[in-house]
Amino acid sequence: MALIFLMPLALVIVMALVQDAPFRDYQEIQLDVVLVDQDADSLSANIKKAFGASRNVNLVLLTDTVEAMERVRSGEFKAAIIIPKDASGRLRKKTQQMITNVFSNFGLGSGELDTTKLPTINVTILFDPAIKANYQQTLAGIIEKIMASVQTKWVLEELQNELQDGNTSAEKIDIDLSQVFQINRRYAGEAINDGVMLNSVQHNVPAWTMFAMFFILYPLAGNFIKEREEGSMLRLRLISGSQFPVIAGKFSFYFTVCLFQFLMMIAVGVFVMPLLGLNRLVLGDQAGLILLTASCVAMAATGYGMLIAVYFRTAQQALSFGSISVVILSAIGGVWVPVYVMPGILQTLSLFSPMSWGLESFNDLFLRQASLVTVMPNLVRLAGFALITGSASVFIHKARTVV
Amino acid sequence: MSSIVVHLDHLTKQYNKSVIPAVSDLSLEIPEGSVFGLLGPNGAGKSTTVMMVCGLMVPDSGFVTVLGENMVTNGLEVRNKIGVAPQEIALFPGLTAFENLFYFGRMYGLPTRVIKSQIEKHLATFGLSDKAGKIVSTFSGGMKRRLNLIAALLHKPRLIILDEPTAGVDVQSRSMVLSFLENLKSEGTTVIYSSHLLEEAERICSHVGIIDEGRLLTAGTLAAVAGSHPDCKNLEELFLKLTGKNIRD
Repeated sequence: MALIFLMPLALVIVMALVQDAPFRDYQEIQLDVVLVDQDADSLSANIKKAFGASRNVNLVLLTDTVEAMERVRSGEFKAAIIIPKDASGRLRKKTQQMITNVFSNFGLGSGELDTTKLPTINVTILFDPAIKANYQQTLAGIIEKIMASVQTKWVLEELQNELQDGNTSAEKIDIDLSQVFQINRRYAGEAINDGVMLNSVQHNVPAWTMFAMFFILYPLAGNFIKEREEGSMLRLRLISGSQFPVIAGKFSFYFTVCLFQFLMMIAVGVFVMPLLGLNRLVLGDQAGLILLTASCVAMAATGYGMLIAVYFRTAQQALSFGSISVVILSAIGGVWVPVYVMPGILQTLSLFSPMSWGLESFNDLFLRQASLVTVMPNLVRLAGFALITGSASVFIHKARTVV
Repeated sequence: MSSIVVHLDHLTKQYNKSVIPAVSDLSLEIPEGSVFGLLGPNGAGKSTTVMMVCGLMVPDSGFVTVLGENMVTNGLEVRNKIGVAPQEIALFPGLTAFENLFYFGRMYGLPTRVIKSQIEKHLATFGLSDKAGKIVSTFSGGMKRRLNLIAALLHKPRLIILDEPTAGVDVQSRSMVLSFLENLKSEGTTVIYSSHLLEEAERICSHVGIIDEGRLLTAGTLAAVAGSHPDCKNLEELFLKLTGKNIRD
């Protein structure tokens, strides 16, 4: 009982907890970032203001570059932004030079091009070697965006300066760039629950539930082989006269166990995960389809377990092969990490994993409010897998059983 | 004249990787009410023949008819009328004696009342009444063998097939089993008794059939078979005369 029910419950809870952090993207994670402000001017002020408004970055001010580098290298901070001395001044000069040359090109202003080579403004970002690449890209992107925004504002100011030159009656206006456009983010589909996304619980509960269901092969194969070795299966054959009732009986029992496992772990996702500080599992409103999908996964898992049970001659062979194969199927099926983050070849292989079919169906039902038409192809695959493995197990059992 | 319960007609069975057939053109008839001793040395084809009679194995050629039904095509029809005590102990070692028998009784489709009464009766007959609640894995070899036999009797079969029913059991258990079989004989139940223990066969069998290398060497009533070889003092001498003295592994 502990093996079949309690261990899978522990598995799904632990995996959801372990993978909670990796599943949260940078928008939910707070990073400690050092700012070495050698500029002490507009540019650095704008950077401080932008990060100050961010809930994902905790900015810590230091004055010494060497100290900043050391503390990032040690992992105390994830990154350090070093704004060089006179960065604002140089950016301003570059902007002025650009505008002056544009005006001069059109015969306005002084009419002479300024060809002075101005040094590039090098803003350095030092990263903790262990930081994820997407965090690096995100931080660098934010800095570039801030600098571009500052430069745009200064371009407009310089334009006004040049145009105002000689026109003392006109006053410069303050241009607010923040209202020019905005990016609206929302999830596709009309009936999606607000705020539902693929989080640790939403991924791990159905994923590891299926993993546990496929591990039904452990008690199934172990019991089956034990009965075969002990001779009790011979008695069943003598009474029933056929392989089918024996196989069907075991199939029915373990199928039911799988369904109970599913229901228990879904209940954990809904009622227990929030108590642990995790998200609550969102099920959507397709209870019937969810149960149908769970039934198809249970059939596939039981069929596979039956095949393992009848094919291998000893429990050691069956359980070794069975457990490793389930781990492989789960890995390529997107149980460990979502399929879309895997390399291309694994994404192709995932098309052949029954766990991928099941997980995709659950995601369709939980997150995308899919209909029967959407999940039907995967359900057919799962049922087909169950039919093939179940039929093969009857055939092999009959062929192999002399007594 | 008694009817024929088992009719084997030119049975042949060859295992895939074997050069010679396990059973070769075997024909015999077992009359109702007889205790038929199927005798032969190791590897003679006794167990293969028994499996074909039980319906566990399909012959390559020939027919097996039990209680008027072809075992290949209509085996399920007579399944409930045959009781088999195989050579290996076919019980659930983790269950008690009662649980084993009750489970098998339910699989035979017997009502609970009948199962319980049969269990009580047979456990008493075989001296296992006080062991009903004990786990089978704790039983001695003799106890397991007796329980194995009881499992074949629950549903009051018309034909009982026993494959080495006294193999590896103690003297007392053996005596109990043989006494039971003698009673069965007097009740008119048909029994196929497969063994290579000739003195047991001589004691309880009314008919014998001796096979070797898959072929039937002789068959008939004990008296008729003995009478056809008057030079043999007993069944053992007759057996050795027909099968030879070479050791079979």
